[in-house]
Amino acid sequence: MNSDTKKKKKRADTLFAYLWSAPSLLLIFLIVIFPILYTGYISVTNMNVYHWNNYEFIGLQNYKDALLVFDNGFLSALFRTILWTAVNMVLQLILAYVLASLLNIKGLRLRNVYRTLLIFPWAMPGYVSILLWKTGMFNSQFGLLNQWLTKAGLEPVKWLGSNFMAFFSCTVVNLWLALPFMITIIDGALQSIDRSFYESAVLEGATWFERTRYITLPMIRPIIAPSVIITVFTTFKQFDVIYLLTQQVGSKTGADIHTILTYAYEKAFITNNYGYSSAISMMIFAMLIVFSWLSKANTKEASI
Amino acid sequence: MTRRSLERVKLAVVNLFFILLCFAVLIPILYALSVSLNADNSLLSANFSFLPKHFTLRNYRAVFVDEPIMLWLKNSLILAVITLLVSLGTGIPAAYIFSRKRFAGRRLILNALVLLYAFPSLLSMMALYKLLTPMGLINTRLGLIIVYTGTMAVFALWNMKGYFDTIPLEIEEAAKVDGASPVQIVTRIVLPLARPTIAVTAMMILIYVWNEYIFAINFMTGSDTYTLAAGLNSLQATEMSGSWPVFSAASLVVSFPILIIFFALQKNMTTGLTSGGVKG
Amino acid sequence: MRRTGFLSLTVAAAVMLMCGCGAANSKLSEEEAHRIVIWHDKEDAVTGVLEEKLKELEPEVTIVLEKKSDLTESLKMVGNNPSAAPDMYFFAHDKIGVYAEMGILSPITDIIPAEELSGYMQNTLEAATYKGEIYQLPIYYETLLFLYNRRYMSDDAVPETTEELYDYMQEKTGGGHYGFVEQHSTPYYAAGWINGFGGRILNDDGTPGLNSDAVIAALAYHKKFADLMPGETEYATVNTLFNEGMAHATIGGPWLIPTVRESGIDVGAAPMPVIDETGTPIAPYMGVQGIQVLQYAASNKTESVEKVLRALMDPEVQISLAQASGCAPASEECYTMPEIADDEIVMTMKETAEHAVPMPNLPEMDVMWTVVGNLLTDVNMSDEDVAESAEKAQEEALSLIKTMQ
Repeated sequence: MNSDTKKKKKRADTLFAYLWSAPSLLLIFLIVIFPILYTGYISVTNMNVYHWNNYEFIGLQNYKDALLVFDNGFLSALFRTILWTAVNMVLQLILAYVLASLLNIKGLRLRNVYRTLLIFPWAMPGYVSILLWKTGMFNSQFGLLNQWLTKAGLEPVKWLGSNFMAFFSCTVVNLWLALPFMITIIDGALQSIDRSFYESAVLEGATWFERTRYITLPMIRPIIAPSVIITVFTTFKQFDVIYLLTQQVGSKTGADIHTILTYAYEKAFITNNYGYSSAISMMIFAMLIVFSWLSKANTKEASI
Repeated sequence: MTRRSLERVKLAVVNLFFILLCFAVLIPILYALSVSLNADNSLLSANFSFLPKHFTLRNYRAVFVDEPIMLWLKNSLILAVITLLVSLGTGIPAAYIFSRKRFAGRRLILNALVLLYAFPSLLSMMALYKLLTPMGLINTRLGLIIVYTGTMAVFALWNMKGYFDTIPLEIEEAAKVDGASPVQIVTRIVLPLARPTIAVTAMMILIYVWNEYIFAINFMTGSDTYTLAAGLNSLQATEMSGSWPVFSAASLVVSFPILIIFFALQKNMTTGLTSGGVKG
Repeated sequence: MRRTGFLSLTVAAAVMLMCGCGAANSKLSEEEAHRIVIWHDKEDAVTGVLEEKLKELEPEVTIVLEKKSDLTESLKMVGNNPSAAPDMYFFAHDKIGVYAEMGILSPITDIIPAEELSGYMQNTLEAATYKGEIYQLPIYYETLLFLYNRRYMSDDAVPETTEELYDYMQEKTGGGHYGFVEQHSTPYYAAGWINGFGGRILNDDGTPGLNSDAVIAALAYHKKFADLMPGETEYATVNTLFNEGMAHATIGGPWLIPTVRESGIDVGAAPMPVIDETGTPIAPYMGVQGIQVLQYAASNKTESVEKVLRALMDPEVQISLAQASGCAPASEECYTMPEIADDEIVMTMKETAEHAVPMPNLPEMDVMWTVVGNLLTDVNMSDEDVAESAEKAQEEALSLIKTMQ
């Protein structure tokens, strides 16, 4: 085969590949990429309440103003967001792994019942669940948790009042919302492992820990990796849990646990200045790119 | 103690653990259930009990009789089914191609996709609206379906591609030697092997469409186009109006179909790969 | 086979994108010109009355009422897209500044001559005016009320001044009971205290007034009341405390009354207590609920719009709507009619409204809710220094307002 036909074949392959993935990529372009480009465009205009339809190009003015938002409050929000993502991901992975492993214990007859019940939280619309948690569980006067504490003769707790408790409570709710998906993924991955690996390992006298370390984890890692990566980003941009539980106007709880998104929301989005808030969105986006690039350079983990 | 009775104790402990855990996890939902069955018109009470003091089905009747819930259900079903078909129909070939073929721009696109997914969606709605308006897609089901499939496309592509990666190429090559055509390889061999990931992806898409209300309210104005989630949102108890018990009842009614689908899909996930042969 | 279908679907979408074929507009069809869509956020009782009254306009005009839970945000997005926007909306007056600046609202006087509006109470018309134009046809107004549970507080024992209220609170608060509760860290509720001290959250010229002596004094004074209330005071908590007879008195909206009565509480309404320090009563915000007309409808469906507006100007309609909502009608002449003049709650509201301050309708107010919410939380819940917090909030407000422009 000479190099010319090789090249031709290669070009045909590429064309073929793009043709088959075109519908999916086109949709992604329309719904995901275009809005980002458009946001970029709005960020260099003065589109706001006073210039709703007659907005014009104002260059980088919005970016200059937006730098003001990146103050101390923003930095601590950024730090908190990273902490939030890390804590939630670690807990999520550990808990989901333990629960999924237990679900796969041999002889557990009711496993399908448990599975369905455990993923029930997934079936409810998120905002409904958050509302239920906030008023039903955490409310310091009438919440179930405090009713139980009082019955047990303990002091009621302000679950959303202090920074630490609010962070803790938000984490609980986020785990409640997110674990069903993670359990499902890890559960599915565990079942795809061939039993014979374990059998031979047991014959060779491997302990549970060794089996986990050398068989289970390496086996499920590539299967769950895409979902985990997606979840990291979902956790990072989680807005509803923190905003609805602690920061909603009219029912603030006094805890300051802003993440960068709720912080930007209070500092920019409520002004109805779309140009300005777009600039902030673009800057947060740019930061994300830098972060993920840095983390990738450090860990070399992404095995795409 | 014999080995067998040890096993039995272990199982009993695990069962007990799961029963307790399930109860703990379901507390907020049981709470909603109790509120929805209680005749007192309040979400909160100083002495709450899971068994309603004044039992009533009034709130469920209100959901089914006073609200056009069947219309909402129909709207939701249409959107969910079409979105699901389009998402899988576009996502599976793309995921397969990205997993199996090597071509220019592949890495770049894959890397970019996750990042794009991270963009704060607070603002993208306005931009989408501006995009769909000149296309005449506002207030049409097609518009909403495009938005939904597009939103879930990154997840579908990325998630399924990751799973395809773990299916060994050798199986396909063996089939090729046996004379199977490329289409046959995909439909007869790859898809059955990939059933778990397809099930998970389908679940994600269904739940998203089922529970999404922001686009549903803003891109389809008009209450006869409400989906279940949009209708539920309009029932939401605000300061001045709305009834918590009716809202709770509606929330449970809306979640119920999803639960059934979970149960049905689960079999697919458990029997996905028994033949073994997954590369590490 | 299936895939070609999807391919062609997406290709079709792409083609549509490229040629940008918009919805055909030009002339409205006969049917469309007579179809009026009204968005609202009202409770079923109000919608029922409205629906029944506007049915009388058929067949000339067909009315479609749509409840929107996130009405204000939706309007921002769809406001100038005739195919998605409503023709009118029924909402409080405080957003008209934003929408007028956006250019999606039409002045009411374009359709109903100004002199015909003279029958409305002066303060409702003032509330509806932004930059010299009237953008809202008032229907009824609401203020917060001082509500009390007659089981604990007899009519003649209702505190007349805030100090009396404070004494009552000190005496009765404890053991799960509260002498008085309100949403102390919600701007809409705390505004009554601020206004009563002569302070303003937002001045008439659109500048924030949070670091004024009056506001600082009001916040400091208000804090001692907040200290005797539960830590969490969003709507659900306050409402339930009062509903279950655990709070003896509260400041709440008229919308609270039906549910309170349903739970068997004999509820009374009294004029707001007078603040001892200033000699004026607590002066809550007044919200005027009424109809706003979108620009597209005003110029393309003028006739139908006018018919709807005129129907809603009928004092009888106002009375039924006011009664359904528990609020007070906006036309003066309603108050001579017995069904209103004999209504204890409505008359109390009218009395409260004499001191009430119309909610600012300036666009700047949009950011103030959040800033004041933070300020109140800092002072009442995080125990931060009042003057310092007020100064910080003022700066914050100034920078946000500057950002708006």
